[in-house]
Order: sequence, then structure tokens, then C-alpha cells
Amino acid sequence: MNILIPHTWLLEHLDTDADPKKIQEYVSLCGPSVERIYDIESDKVYDIEVTTNRVDGMSIRGIAREAAVILQQFGIKAKLKPNNLPQTLRPETEVLPLPKISNDPKLSKRLICVVLKGVQRNPTPEWMAKRLLQTEQNVHDAVIDITNYVTHELGHPCHAFDYDKLMRTGGEINVVEAKAGEKFITLDANEFETVGGEVVFKNGEGDIIDLPSIKGTANTSIDDTTQNVLLLLESIKAEKVRFASMTHAIRTVAAQLMEKNVDPNLAKDVLVRGAQLYQELCNAQIASEIYDDFPGNQPLKPVEVKLETIHEYLGTDAAGKQVLTTQEIISILEQLECTVTSKNQTLIIQPPSFRPDLTIPADIVEEIARIYGYHKLPSVIMDTQIPTEKQKGVNFTLENRIKRFLASIGLQEIYSYSMVSEQIALQTDSLENHLKLQNPLTDDRIYLRKSLIPSLNEILDQNSHISDLSVFEIANVYLPKKNDLPNESLRLSIVSTKPYREVRGILESLLAQFFVTNLQVTQNSDTTGTILVSENDKEIGLGIVTMQSNNRVAIELEFSQLLLILKTHPTYQSIPKTAIVTEDMTFTLPKKIRVGEIMKVMSEVSTLITKVELKDIYNRNYSFAITYHDPKQNIASDDLKPVRKKIVQELEKHQGILVGTV
Amino acid sequence: MNLEELQIKIKTIKEQLKNESIVDSELLQTKYLGKKGSFNDLAKAIGQIDPEQKKEAGKLLNELKIHLTETIEKLEKSPKKASFEDLTAPGVKPKVGHMHPVSQAMEEITQIFERIGFSRARYPEVDWDWYVFESLNMPKSHPARDEWETFFVEAPVDPEKGKVVLTTHTSNGQVREMERLKSKPPIRMINIARCYRRQQDATHTQMFHQFEGLVVDTGINIQHLKGTLDYFAEQFYGPGTKSRIRPFHFQFTEPSFEVDFSCHICNGTGKINEEKCKFCKSGWHEVGGAGMVHPNVLKAGGIDPEKYTGFAFGWGVERTYTLKQGLNIDDIRLLYSGDLRFLEQF
Repeated sequence: MNILIPHTWLLEHLDTDADPKKIQEYVSLCGPSVERIYDIESDKVYDIEVTTNRVDGMSIRGIAREAAVILQQFGIKAKLKPNNLPQTLRPETEVLPLPKISNDPKLSKRLICVVLKGVQRNPTPEWMAKRLLQTEQNVHDAVIDITNYVTHELGHPCHAFDYDKLMRTGGEINVVEAKAGEKFITLDANEFETVGGEVVFKNGEGDIIDLPSIKGTANTSIDDTTQNVLLLLESIKAEKVRFASMTHAIRTVAAQLMEKNVDPNLAKDVLVRGAQLYQELCNAQIASEIYDDFPGNQPLKPVEVKLETIHEYLGTDAAGKQVLTTQEIISILEQLECTVTSKNQTLIIQPPSFRPDLTIPADIVEEIARIYGYHKLPSVIMDTQIPTEKQKGVNFTLENRIKRFLASIGLQEIYSYSMVSEQIALQTDSLENHLKLQNPLTDDRIYLRKSLIPSLNEILDQNSHISDLSVFEIANVYLPKKNDLPNESLRLSIVSTKPYREVRGILESLLAQFFVTNLQVTQNSDTTGTILVSENDKEIGLGIVTMQSNNRVAIELEFSQLLLILKTHPTYQSIPKTAIVTEDMTFTLPKKIRVGEIMKVMSEVSTLITKVELKDIYNRNYSFAITYHDPKQNIASDDLKPVRKKIVQELEKHQGILVGTV
Repeated sequence: MNLEELQIKIKTIKEQLKNESIVDSELLQTKYLGKKGSFNDLAKAIGQIDPEQKKEAGKLLNELKIHLTETIEKLEKSPKKASFEDLTAPGVKPKVGHMHPVSQAMEEITQIFERIGFSRARYPEVDWDWYVFESLNMPKSHPARDEWETFFVEAPVDPEKGKVVLTTHTSNGQVREMERLKSKPPIRMINIARCYRRQQDATHTQMFHQFEGLVVDTGINIQHLKGTLDYFAEQFYGPGTKSRIRPFHFQFTEPSFEVDFSCHICNGTGKINEEKCKFCKSGWHEVGGAGMVHPNVLKAGGIDPEKYTGFAFGWGVERTYTLKQGLNIDDIRLLYSGDLRFLEQF
């Protein structure tokens, strides 16, 4: 989360002569990232990203504290100013009774409050309004704005109750968990119903009178008639705050801070500072002692860290020397307000109450390393052993070679979304056979696709101005499995506007790149076929080819099957010493003939036949180039006579009629 | 004419051809071997030769013909004698396609890391909550999960591994890689995969790619992470590019860092001709996160954090790629639009 910090406000807590640019540069290097500096209301305002584990940095004072330590490290004068707040408050007037408070230490670590009498509804003074505007907060009047102001300054949310309204509800505050189905109305007049388990304040009758650490309720909050205020801070357990805030989507600043473990020790400073401002700006008088119930007042657990561990994380310098001495390490930790004792090469570190994020040795290492400066550590590539056990079933080099080859012969690679619309999903399978997103963002991305082809068709539709277009994608499809993760199956798909034989040719030349030359397609129907290769007399299916009604050819191959057959090198065939003879033969073949099967028949006629190629189709006349070779002797034309005759005979069985004579 | 005269004439013709200024072989062909060419003229004269010498004359003429033919042929073949070609005419390109820019980036990233001993791995894109969050030190309902706008899949919840989600980052590969290696370092993995987050604008798409590096071994420290990042920056963006790490927070690393690369447009100065560089933040580009692997993550992968340390980093492929000098892609949604006018430029 980000916080806006006006420079002049920061200087009320930080004594430094560093200019804003230096503060931005150095604080960003060693602490929270100062992302930008704005000019607002004639002052520099820092926009600082504070990480979720460092809620102590979500205030002017918190940033001042970090900046003081960091700037000193760069040799710049910087000191956190003392806050000079009184230890306690005393009633200045006739005492008003405090409500009857009953806390549950399991739900709230602290509950602290004071009564302020005779609060005047004065406008927010200019200096405060300016700072609220600089930090993008709304300006109302002083009674309301004081609570936001002190929260921003010191980092612990607080709430101003209308004292009289609260007393009229019975003058009781009971910290309890709500049951399901209880109603409450927030101060901005929105109605909610509890789901059970939210921490709430209730009066004696069991009515909800506040949603503590999140938002006030209308029945006890300040309104136009408010005269007396109960300023109260509680420290509801972080996970309880988060639960209620998330459940009801009430994401106030207070909730976003309190769900991240704000230090309850801050509460008193905020109460006292708040009360002071009510005195100054609203002429209020303190009308009670401070009520302070602090069952959660326990020091954080100390962290033990071996010096060896610290040095291990930091590494050594080029000369093999440790980067920091023990004294330097301890000094950094002490600047961060940790208490450090050392024993047997081990440091025992007591973090300050506002650093609950320091729990393990690595947390301590981070503090030392960042304050020392990551930029000062050397850069070294590890000289440790290189692992050799590679993942099985993947071949990224092959994937890339396929992509490169297809692209170089004219195909465009596509990346399309894994999630598709209902309509696209239905092109592959019924909806219930698809995995579905529970919380899709848009209607066109709901189902996890089971084929890449509809997505590629969409791309072709989108680019319909290009008449000759072939695209491909290598990506997963997601095949649901019962009570398990889906099978993520990598596919290579091609969709093309080219004629079938050209698309098949693309595939053939792709496989030839990987020394596979025996691609076959078996016809399953008029428009679909199975793509396969034979290896060791076994047929290995690679995928499906479809002639689509839009005249496009679509191919989808199973990548894992390709991995089985593609080769890194060919098997060398000795260069023939005898002549190779190629002759043409033309046959008239019947309609709907499967010429691939005919060619297979032809090639099996004689062992002399080494290759049968389809040269040309004219009407129903098919010309074949037949290659003959005998490795032992040169073939004479007469030797081929019986073979030619046999070819003619075989083709006659398939209604093939020879054109010409043999 | 006698044989001697014939020999002189033959010599003259040969000389003439040798010193010929004509370069066009067709013209030469006509001049020497054409119907009315020098050869034919000479051949006609053979009738006047003494019959006894005719045989010898025929031999000489034959030699001349061969000589002329060969010489002209040779001239024809020599490059300086080529006929006119309009070299200003535009080229006819063979049709080539294009590898998608994301593939190109992934290939380059993989190669860079492979050179220093990383191996690429692939892990599920649809995975259990356990691998995506819980094993990465992010218990259920932890505020850190807010940063990931997670897509959930309609599927039964596994009693141990939780819900089925679309991976919001490639970090689900961390514990999976440890499991693959049976919790035995050394690990030096690079995992590049599709990731999904529930957001969409000019700099975010519902689907994007990340690459994740994970190194685990004895004695791995912050310097090694810095070294690896510096190496990558120089390799991917060119010599002189620097990286820096700044404090950050991730649940699955401790310490955690934000990684910046120096801007190659302003050379890391943040200024171009005294004006603020528009492409970076004060000379630096934020590219992603990194950190030392959190002991709880090592434990989740069955590795003893007392014995081993490691680092990890994970960044968007698109973000890393679009920072390349002069690329100027201002809307990453274009990458997944399937618009050929865009894709054909790569």
C-alpha cells in the first residue's frame, strides 16, 4: 500500500538537512520505495510504497524513523525528533463517567479511551486542511478530521464516538464476536448483516454499536449535534479485522492498517495527541482519566541468529573477508531500535514493539543487509555445482526449432488466450466437459479450452483481409480429470487457408527437418483424417487433420507424440553405386479415390520400387513418378517390364486404368 | 589463296577477337560465327585453295571454329560480360512468417540462463492452491494474497492441496522443482509459463508470461543473486546495463527485493538533454521481484533450511521484453490480439 508524506510534515518528526531528491534516492535504496515526488500545495509530497509486512511505516512518524536510520548510513545528518507528548492526561473539568467497558483479551489486545467535553464544531484549520489535501483525504470539520490527521501522523487508527449517543444506548461497550444475522448500520448509512465471527462492540441489550478497527456505526458516531466525544482506540486481532473487512467489503484505511498488525503501543500516543488537538482546535476539555486496558502488552519474541548465518547470507568480499564486523552488525540493529545481546557467536535480538515482522533469522539478515546497502555488496555468479538431472517429457529446444522452421516457411505464430467463450468452447466439446472459471473477468474468457483450433480460426476471421494466411500455435489444452488437476496437453496446431496438399506439405517438410519422412494420413471421413507415422511396424498417431467447411485446413498434433518420433539426426544411407531409374505412369482413377492408399499399394508391388510420388493431377488422371533402384546391379528397362505390369494389375483392382501402354 | 595466306588470315581473325571491344556475346557470335561472319567469309574462300592442300586447310578452319566458339563462350560466362540487368528493380521476397515476440523473448531468456547452468522446466498452469500460495508461506486469507487477482476453477477442493486455481505466477514451480529433485539440491531452474490474473488494462492482460529462476545449494548468498541479475541485464539489454536490488516484501522470500534495470535510453541518468527521461523512473526500470528463498518454502519442498540457502526471482516476460530499446510497444494487449498488422512486424 502507498502513503503520501508531505516533506514539511515529515520534518516535524525528522531532523535532517537532506533535500527531497536525496531522501527519495537513499530511502528507496535501503527502505520503502519512494516512487514519486509530487508538488502539492507548494510542498514536495512523497508517494511511498510501504510493503504489507511494514505497517509501522504507514505514518509520517514511521517514515521519519526509517529515514533517520537510512540517511545516517549515507553520512547525512538525520535524527528522529522526540514526540514530546505527555505521559498521561488529567481531567480539567467536571468528570463525565466513562462507559462500562468489558474487553475480551482474545479479541482485542488493547482498549484505550478518554472523554472530551464541550467539543466545538470548528472548521478544520488551514494548516491541517492543507495536509489532509496533500495526503488525498477529505476535509470535513475539525471534530472529524482530527482522527484522520493523527492516524496519518502516528499510524494507529482511532475513532471518535458521540459520547452522549453512546451513553444513551446504555453506556456499555462489550467487545464480542457477532452471531450470524445481526444487523448494523454504518455511519455512512449502509445496512449490513453479520455472517457471524465479526468482532463488534455491543451495548447491554446486545445491539451492535460499532464495527471496531473498521468503521463506526450510525447509532454512536458523530453527527451535527455532537457536544462530547469519546476518543477511543482498540486493537482488534488482525485476522479478525481482515475477516470482517473482506466479508463485508468495507476496506477503510483503518481496516487496511489494523489487518496488518499495527503496534498497540502506538495507541496511547495517538490518544494523547488526538486529545491535545481537540483541546486546541475544538476547545474541548479532558473530562475523564484515561481508561487503558492493555492485556496484549507483551514484548515480541526475541530472535536468535548465529553470526555465521548472517555472514553466509552476505557472502564475503573479493579478498575473502567478511562484509561486516560483529560490532557493525550490532550497531545497525541498535539503530533500528532492537536490543541486542550476544552469546557464543549468536545474537539474541529483541525487536521493538512496532516490528512484529522480525521473527526469524532471515528477517534479521534483511535488516542488516538493507541498511548496510545491497548496492555495496559484490555481484558474483555462483561457482557451485551445475545440476544435471533435467526434467523429463519436455524439449524446449525442439519447440523452438519447430517454431523457427514454421515461421521461416511462411507461417505466423500466434499466442491466443487459454480461456475461451462459451461459443468457442462448444466448437470442441460440450460445456460440462470443459473446466470452467468460478470468477471470470469477461464473457469471452470463461472456459479452459480443449483445442487450439477454434482460437486460431478466430484469428483468421479477424484477419480476413489476408487471403493466404497460415497460422500456428504451440500451447496447452486442458482436459478435465476427476478429482485431480486437468491433464495439460501440449498441442501444435495449424490452421491455413492454403489447399490441403500444401498444408500437408508444410507438415511433411517440418517432419523431414527432424528426419521423419513417412508421414501418412488415414481417412476417417470425407473431411477428417488421422495423421500418423509408422515406426518399427508400429503406427504412432500424431493428431487429426480436418478440412473445414470454411475451406480452411486445420491440423492439431499432440506434442508428446511428436517427441516420440522426431529425431536429432538421420540414419545415413550409403550413396547408391548403381543407377536409379525414374519413370512416369499415369492412371485414370475413380471419384473419391484415396490416392494415398493407391500409392501405398504401388510402392509395395516390388522391392525395386524405392519411391512413388504424385506428380500431377489433371481431371481424374493421376501421374506418378516411380523410382526404381537395385543396389546390386544396374536396372535395364526390360527388367522393369514385369514390375510395370504388376502395378497396372494392382491398380485395376482399384478401378485404376492406365493411360497409354507399358 | 594458299595455305600460308590462310594461316595469316586465321591469325588476324584471332588477334581481332582477342582485342575485341564488343562485350555482347550475341553480337560477337554474329560478327565471327554468323552467316556473314568472318569465319564464313574465310570458309567460302577455301574453294580457291589447291586441292592438295584442302584437307590441311579444312583442319585449320575447324580449329579456328573451335577457337572462336570457345573464346566467345568464355566471354559469355565471364561476369563482366553479363547483359543488362535493372538492378534498381525491387526484390521479390520468399514468403516468410514470424515467430511471436513472446516466443522470441522466451528463447532469448532461456539461452541466457542456460549459459550459466540453468535448466528450463515446465509446471502446471492450472494448479493447487498449495503450490501457488500455501507452500509459498502464504496461509489462507493472508493479506499478501490480495496482490494476486486469482482466477478460481470450478472443481472439487482437495482436502490437502486446497482449491484449483489458474497460476498467478510461475512460483508454483518452486516447491514442484524441489519435489522433482527429491529435495536434493543443487537446483538451478528457469521456469517460463503462462500466468493468469483477474485484471485487464494497457499494462495488464488476463493471461501473461513469467519467468522464474530458482537456485538452491549450500552457500548461496545475496551476492549470487546480484551476479545473476547483472549478468542477465547485460546479456538481454546490452553491455553496460546494470541491475540493482531494493528492499521489498514477498511472503516466499526473505530478504525480498525489487529488481531494477538501468534505463538504456538515458543511460541510467534519468535525464536526456537536461530533460527528465520519459521512459524510466530516475534512470531505472522496475522489472520484478526477487529474494532469498524463505526457509518455510525450503521446508515445504523437503529441504533443510539450516543446510541450504537459495534465491529466486520472477518477472513478466512481456514487461522485460517491452523494455528493449526502441521497441516502443505501449499496449501489451496487442501481443494477444492476433492482429497480423502487429505480429508481422516481429
